[in-house]
Amino acid sequence: MNQRLASGHEPLDSVLGGGLPANAINLIMGRPGSGKTILAQQYVFRNATAQRPAIYFATVSEPLEKIVRFGQSLDFFDRTAIGTSVFYEDLGTRVSQHGLTGVTEQITTAIKERRPGLIVIDSFKALHAFADSHAEFRGFLHELSGRLGAFPVASLWVGEYEDAEIGSMPEFAVADAILDLTTARSGQRDLRFLEVRKLRGSGFRSGLHAYRLTADGMHLFPRLADAPIDEEYTQSDVRASSGIPALDDMLEDGYWPGASTLIAGPSGSGKTLLGLHFIFNGARQGEPGVIATLQENETQLERVAGGFGWSLNEPNIEVMYRSPVDIHIDEWAYELLQAVKRTGARRILIDSVTDIRMAAADPTRFREFCYSLMQRFARQGVSIVMTFEIPALFGAERLSDDAVSPLSDNVVMLSYLKDDGSIKRTISVIKTRASQHDPAIRQFLIGRDGIALA
Amino acid sequence: MLPSEAKGRQAGRVLQVEDRDRALYSISAVGNMVGLPVATLRTWEDRYALVVPDRNPSGHRLYSRDQVEQLRFIKTRMALGLSAADAHRLLAEQLGDGLPTAQAGQARLLILLVEPDPYAAEYQEYFLKTEGFEVEMAFDEEAARRSFEEKSPSLAVIELLVSGGSGLSLCRYVKESSGVPVVAVSVLECRDQAIEAGADAFLLKPLDPLQFVSTARDLLGSSSFLHEPPRALA
Repeated sequence: MNQRLASGHEPLDSVLGGGLPANAINLIMGRPGSGKTILAQQYVFRNATAQRPAIYFATVSEPLEKIVRFGQSLDFFDRTAIGTSVFYEDLGTRVSQHGLTGVTEQITTAIKERRPGLIVIDSFKALHAFADSHAEFRGFLHELSGRLGAFPVASLWVGEYEDAEIGSMPEFAVADAILDLTTARSGQRDLRFLEVRKLRGSGFRSGLHAYRLTADGMHLFPRLADAPIDEEYTQSDVRASSGIPALDDMLEDGYWPGASTLIAGPSGSGKTLLGLHFIFNGARQGEPGVIATLQENETQLERVAGGFGWSLNEPNIEVMYRSPVDIHIDEWAYELLQAVKRTGARRILIDSVTDIRMAAADPTRFREFCYSLMQRFARQGVSIVMTFEIPALFGAERLSDDAVSPLSDNVVMLSYLKDDGSIKRTISVIKTRASQHDPAIRQFLIGRDGIALA
Repeated sequence: MLPSEAKGRQAGRVLQVEDRDRALYSISAVGNMVGLPVATLRTWEDRYALVVPDRNPSGHRLYSRDQVEQLRFIKTRMALGLSAADAHRLLAEQLGDGLPTAQAGQARLLILLVEPDPYAAEYQEYFLKTEGFEVEMAFDEEAARRSFEEKSPSLAVIELLVSGGSGLSLCRYVKESSGVPVVAVSVLECRDQAIEAGADAFLLKPLDPLQFVSTARDLLGSSSFLHEPPRALA
């Protein structure tokens, strides 16, 4: 029954449970530069038709000419639509001369004459300056929303609203949907997020969803936050070898398929190498694998692999290298999910999960992200090995602060050991689920064939 | 318009707004639209010189929408027993007051609009008037009943929530006391109740202007030009 206004960008529409409500008042709030106008124009060009055109009203915040001029740099901006299915109108002159009554009159006339399917008012917040009192603005708001509600038109009210104004400005009560474009500081950078603050008549995906602004408009990466699923699924009984027979013995014949394994250890202890054993072992048995690396690029990784007789060019190997600089963890996750789907991968190496943790906005987000990702792969029977760096070179007392290890099915610990004036490497299995592992601490060497347990 | 004609028409047809006096239909298209042989149209044109189409540079006849409806008027009157000559004479009389053709005919088509929401009423009135209809407004049930008795509208548009939800009883009243077609409108999805109460069509609000106007036109019949109120016809 509820019709939807699509953005043309499927991830955004899916966050909104199918799209913004049509025939409704939708409010887009955000700071300057957050992409409000871009998003509004994205909706305009996606939905405007000659029969049900879109009208973009510019008020007094930004000159109409400027909106159009910068709009042209967007890929979806269609010059041929201007004047036929998309109309830009200046509301600033009218409101300056005739006040808010002039606004209502101009919009009503436009509705009658153009019969639009979509109306944008940018900036709506700027109209407050033309009311002498709160009562006057509420009266204007009541009449405008009444007139918009009496016609099958979706409207987007755009404004540079602050978070605190949600409770004080009456348009937020009138709005059927509120999209908040916000930023969050993470280290030295600002991350952009979209949050649905209100959506009448529909469910939506809550929380902060990262986005980027490109010439295509908004690219949204819905927050990977899967709710627990009770539904049962079947698992294979054939275990996945770690690629190191002696370690398989310690694990009681390798990992269960679909298991998540954390390889923890200090820098240089052999975590990546242990992960490569797992991937190449699988690849040579016909199980495609994806190496999702944020540490070494392909050239660097090829050199590492080549040193042990492997090549990234071997069949069944896919490398997904992404720089940890300016990474969005959800964007990265969707790319990994696509890579796994495309290659039919059964094994994944994430090197390292430490980089993902650094890119996550906060520990809670990191935990739910890891949970969601592990659950998705577990249900597909895809095994994950994740490397995790521990700061202490010797005698680490704890694995982490943020619960990656509790979420993982298995934890394998690599350590350094001082012995007779030299440093030796040790491996131990700290935790396995549904297995009886060997609790011994074993020394290992790294040779031409990789890791060999002493 | 005959009630059976109105019920047989397809609701929801999209209607393009166009200039009513613009010549755009070929003679064969008009023959199909009106249900008359092309030869008859040519004969009437020569004999009565009343409905005379334009000619394009190649000499082909092109009829306007007004002219199509004038031909439908003639055909309808002939079906009621008039001769072709009398039907043409009647049409000439109707057009004789010098008004533009569309206005001359549609001035008689009155639609009673029962809509308590002033904003919705304003749009609906505007769109109906744009199509050439006369509109009588009523904002509550009592005013609606009074207007219905006094004005004898050709069609009633009834918002079902009028006067706190009296729309259904108003639908019944209109249907039981006349053959006037009724369009029920509401923000509530209550099509079945509306139809059961006698409404000929139900539209969900907010009303799409094209769908609204074409539903009204469909219920009044495409040959509504120079239409007479159903009760007068009966």
